[in-house]
Amino acid sequence: MNEVCFKNIDKDQCWSLANYEATGGYSVWRKILKGEYTPEQIIAELKTSGLRGRGGAGFPTGLKWSFMPRNAPGQKYIVCNSDEGEPGTCKDRDILRFNPHAVIEGMAIGSFVMNATVGYNYIRGEFIEPFNRFEGALKEAYEAGLLGKDINDSGIDFDLYSHLGAGAYICGEETALLESIEGKKGQPRFKPPFPANVGLFGKPTTINNTESFASVPDIMLNGGQWFADLGVENSGGTKLFSVSGHVTSPANFEVSMGMPFKELLELAGGMRNGAKLKAVIPGGSSTPVLTAEVAMAMTMDYDGIDKAGSMLGAGSVIIMDDSTCMVEALTRLAHFYYDESCGQCTPCREGTGWLYRVLKRIMDGKGKADDIDLLLGVQEKIMGNTICALGDAAAMPVESFLRNFREEFEYYIEHGKSMVKG
Amino acid sequence: MISDNAKKQIDSWIAKYPQGKQSSAVMEALKVVQAENNNQLNHDLIQAVADYLDMPGIAAAEVATFYENYNHKPVGKHIIRFCHNISCMLTGADDLISHLETKLGVKTGEVTKDGLISVKKVECLGACVGAPMFQIGDQYYENLTTDKVDEIVDGLK
Amino acid sequence: MIVEIEIDGKLINANTGEMVIAVTDREGISVPRFCYHKKLSISASCRMCLVDVEGAPKPQPACSTPVAEGMKIHTQNEKAIASQKAVMEFLLINHPLDCPICDQGGECELQDVAIEYGSDVSRFSEGKRIVAPSDIGPLIQTDMTRCIHCTRCVRFGSEIAGIMEMGATGRGEELKIEPFLAEGITSELSGNMIDVCPVGALTSKPFRYELRSWQMSSVENIARHDLVGSNLYAQTYKGNVKRVVSGDNDAVNETWISDRDRFSYEGLTHENRLLFPQIKVEGQWKEVEWDVALDFAIKGLNNNILNSRNLAKLGGLASNTATIEELHLMQKLLREMGCENIDHRLNVKDLNNTMHLKSTIKLIELESVDHALVIGANLRLEQPMINHRLRKAQLSGANITTLNVKDFDFNYKVDSHITSPNEIANTLAGVLKTLIDKTKQEFPEYLSDVIPSEHSVTLANNLLEANNSVLILGEHLINNAQASSISNLTAEIAKLTNSSTLNLTATANSLGAQQVNFMPNSQGMNANEMLDADMRAFILLDIYPEYDFHHSAAALNALSSDDVFVISLNSFGSELVSQYSDVMLPMAAMFETSGTHMNINGKAQSFRASVGAPGEAKPAWKILKVLADLLELPSFHYENSTQVMSEVAHQSIQTHEYDASIDLSKQTVTLETIWMHSPYQSDVLLRHAKSLNASQIGQMNTASMSVTTAQSLSLNNKDTYLGVPVEIDSIMADQCVFVNSNQATNAGGSQ
Ligand SMILES: Cc1cc2nc3c(=O)[nH]c(=O)nc-3n(C[C@H](O)[C@H](O)[C@H](O)COP(=O)(O)O)c2cc1C
Ligand code: SF4
Ligand code: FES
Repeated sequence: MNEVCFKNIDKDQCWSLANYEATGGYSVWRKILKGEYTPEQIIAELKTSGLRGRGGAGFPTGLKWSFMPRNAPGQKYIVCNSDEGEPGTCKDRDILRFNPHAVIEGMAIGSFVMNATVGYNYIRGEFIEPFNRFEGALKEAYEAGLLGKDINDSGIDFDLYSHLGAGAYICGEETALLESIEGKKGQPRFKPPFPANVGLFGKPTTINNTESFASVPDIMLNGGQWFADLGVENSGGTKLFSVSGHVTSPANFEVSMGMPFKELLELAGGMRNGAKLKAVIPGGSSTPVLTAEVAMAMTMDYDGIDKAGSMLGAGSVIIMDDSTCMVEALTRLAHFYYDESCGQCTPCREGTGWLYRVLKRIMDGKGKADDIDLLLGVQEKIMGNTICALGDAAAMPVESFLRNFREEFEYYIEHGKSMVKG
Repeated sequence: MISDNAKKQIDSWIAKYPQGKQSSAVMEALKVVQAENNNQLNHDLIQAVADYLDMPGIAAAEVATFYENYNHKPVGKHIIRFCHNISCMLTGADDLISHLETKLGVKTGEVTKDGLISVKKVECLGACVGAPMFQIGDQYYENLTTDKVDEIVDGLK
Repeated sequence: MIVEIEIDGKLINANTGEMVIAVTDREGISVPRFCYHKKLSISASCRMCLVDVEGAPKPQPACSTPVAEGMKIHTQNEKAIASQKAVMEFLLINHPLDCPICDQGGECELQDVAIEYGSDVSRFSEGKRIVAPSDIGPLIQTDMTRCIHCTRCVRFGSEIAGIMEMGATGRGEELKIEPFLAEGITSELSGNMIDVCPVGALTSKPFRYELRSWQMSSVENIARHDLVGSNLYAQTYKGNVKRVVSGDNDAVNETWISDRDRFSYEGLTHENRLLFPQIKVEGQWKEVEWDVALDFAIKGLNNNILNSRNLAKLGGLASNTATIEELHLMQKLLREMGCENIDHRLNVKDLNNTMHLKSTIKLIELESVDHALVIGANLRLEQPMINHRLRKAQLSGANITTLNVKDFDFNYKVDSHITSPNEIANTLAGVLKTLIDKTKQEFPEYLSDVIPSEHSVTLANNLLEANNSVLILGEHLINNAQASSISNLTAEIAKLTNSSTLNLTATANSLGAQQVNFMPNSQGMNANEMLDADMRAFILLDIYPEYDFHHSAAALNALSSDDVFVISLNSFGSELVSQYSDVMLPMAAMFETSGTHMNINGKAQSFRASVGAPGEAKPAWKILKVLADLLELPSFHYENSTQVMSEVAHQSIQTHEYDASIDLSKQTVTLETIWMHSPYQSDVLLRHAKSLNASQIGQMNTASMSVTTAQSLSLNNKDTYLGVPVEIDSIMADQCVFVNSNQATNAGGSQ
């Protein structure tokens, strides 16, 4: 536990530069500044590590970094996605608060690989405390001569800034995030072109999640194989899981990939008040919900959760006990996507509102017999037809809630009240 | 329309972006100006920000109406932004919100008579392991209970 | 590079980088779409164009999927149709479906696609979204509940009109297309938003609730308000033009038209139209039959001119908005009678002017210049379509420099040099001298005293650095005291720098007038001379002296003299016209006559009448023909205007003798007034177009001057200058006043 992003978490002032450096922090960056690494070596090490993007999609980070046209002329950018807003997810906030230098060093290493001399960390607007922490760390790093122009006479430039959001979940989508840094509404761009070719201010850009960046320094420090061995096949390393909901001690846990869900639940103190587990959303609100039985048999890694019929996503484990009304839970999620749709593309703009309104009507006791088919039909029409994955994210819970807990919806429609809460 | 102090803050944001990309600072500029004007934006303030950043008024208005952190109607001196998304819901946020509404005598979206407090239901604030939670100003308050809510709210001046 | 792709089983060649929709459009394969517009950037947001691309996990939008070798696309298979139907259903759930009362009914892209892809019964039973309309001005009606958020109008604003006025505020379902400014939409190209809007959210306000689109017929026509000759369609019903929409001609106006061209038709039905022939008997006007009026006219000519063979005392003047046919017949009529006093250059103070500078660049080529020097023009308002081309050039990197009295509002980046009218010739002389200096050639005599300013050197260097530059002369120079020298200097500079030239002082159809030689030869008098010559008779073609003459007071005087007999062919009645005329013959206005207009590129575009003329009004070419017949002139056997045109088609544009000398010593005036009519006052039809004149541009009425000038005239912001409200402008040249007015010139009279 707590071997990578959280390795200093028990120390007093664990976010300080001194604490970070005491456990090898910035030694990789210093080596890079001395010319002891090539970009290819770093990419190779990352590929060995099996690190997959921690922002939700799980795309192999080493591979992503190899896509950047590092030798193309002109400015290139590196961007960190700390917009964390997916319901259930709250790990990046803690990385920023407790280990900001790992993010800075991870981005610095990335900037060298990608030949990007400027970076931005996009921090969600509400995260003022994490923002201040990160700014404090930036100041320390600049003062220590670790950032800036021609750092330590290395000929390497890297300037890093933070950009604050202003309240829009969609800005977590990487191209919406770029639009937002450009001072526009956070509306996702259509792809192609991909950010690696046309990104921030039209220049090649690499975007990674906070946790992905924060994992890089230790991978380089201890070797890709070391990281890979922390986890299981296809899911290298440790991962932060945010366990929330009906557990005794909700918290962020950094554990090895492949840990059985059962153990993770125990780490969180088990079910609150000894209640019975009913359902688990394993990767954040956009991932399909699982029944207790399926969840209890699952391991916490990409393949394990995939096999169970859901996705690891951002590692946001939402635990629901048997007092939970699944109609109410889905309605709440549907409201979220309805509220957060950026509105530019038709299926998402119109479809999320439709889903929410039908669910709301059911909750108001005005459900109709064919509402379940209607919901399934509408989510199917959103799925795959939108510019970005928010549409899919809105659709997926509807399908999985109705598949796994259909009788609760039928009951609500028929009786006009919740099967669980009465 | 924009105070010198606000301009200074905005300028420090502009400095982060490439030459000619000053409109990248619009989100912060709007926040700075909002903070100086009773936590609320209006047409003229948005135009003033747009002018300062040399961008079309409508482009600034698009930003000001897209993001959730800008207010276009009167709000309290303190805005209690109560998360009601899934993890908070599971841990009792709805009851706490009702409690707060009764205590303050306002519904969500309204401002107390003395103008001190308004309550707003918001989507996930990224503190799910501390649910239920709310935000007031820059501060997060987590693992809330009725007593804790009372104590925090009673302390607002 | 050419790639081979397969669409619906058909092998097709396409260019790499091209989007699938461009290929399907070219091949005539129909793919539904709302947000895509060939002249706008891609937004890929409506999702209507989803097609199935083999190998892709999800359906792909045809508008934003670039073709690649071997790509196999299905636009009609189950997967594609399912996606298209899904999107259609989503689009309709919040759409009011108020087609029966919607002005777009019958020409609505949504309606068309819905008929093909929509399902009859909507399963949506929640309440529909209603969006409050916003008032965006007198030209465009909004019904935003119908908006499908395609953002074409928003993109039109920021990409084509060059000012972002419409935006999409809010987010999600609350996304709302609206302007930010209280004054609404002010762009001179705003009406194109009506054309690009696929639904009835943005419709023509003057047209509102008039008719259903299928009740009208669309007739191709040519706009004649400026020297572009934009292609358009006049949509007519029961003999009236009800609406004008843009035509499509890449060489002329692409798919855009200016508001001026779109809304001028409203003037056609104005109550001031001259509807019946009238004669003045003992100071009283009498409506009469045509034959009576024509007899009266001939008698007048006989008494005042022909009986005494006093043809030197007859003058013919015409508006330069007239058609080539009208101008040709009129000069032929006058010349066959033996009269050489012929002119269309009414707004010119000194006929030794700028007009002879040739335009050597095609409109479409303006897009690819890398440098332009704009002298004396407020292009956005005066030449919206030309400005649009130049804007494109600027956006692709051209450097545009202006030499103007004031820092006009360009909708792109210009390097603005503020120069008083008196300095322009000298500045250009400095440029020329710098250029000659570099080639180490000898200066002509007139340059010997010129010391190039820093300013001139910069301009010269800019021109030398450019590979493809254009020099543009604008309308503000028409009456510059050194107009002729300016145009000669421009020609010299163009020669030395290999620049093209564009002469915008040749307004409306004046190139057409030059082609038919509507100017006096050496024995004749020009317009200004006629005004001083104590004439006995005039034939006037659609002239309104208070607007058309530079010397409007003198003109009025000359025409009003007791012993001069005036035959007026007019489309509109006017107090002044009735005051001096002896006979008024009602003529057809634009849209009501067939004819030909020659644009700045010398492109002659013929058009048919879109509607008949009201009342007893007749096309002017017919009136002139009958007059000629009555005068027993031999060769006027025309049956239609095409025959008239074929007589002159081979003629090339005549350039008249002009003074090629450059004289920098010429005395300049101490205070120059540049009087420009507001763009919606520049011809008689426009002046009667109600909605245009209610718009912000139409209301323009200011006399701009610098602080120093204002002081020297003892004027300040509350005063008027020549009847026009003063506006003190901090960035403006001294010693000049720039008037932009929606009032007649004679409100104050110009010097
Ligand atoms: C609607 C939506 C919201 C997202 N929110 C986040 C987020 O808050 N944080 C994040 O890192 N990635 C988020 N993502 C994923 C990003 O688009 C992107 O894949 C990620 O930042 C890449 O980083 P990684 O490869 O390190 O995971 C979101 C994606 C979508 C479609
Ligand atoms: S008003 Fe018309 S053009 Fe503009 S976004 Fe709506 S549907 Fe599209
Ligand atoms: S036309 Fe392709 S998405 Fe709209």
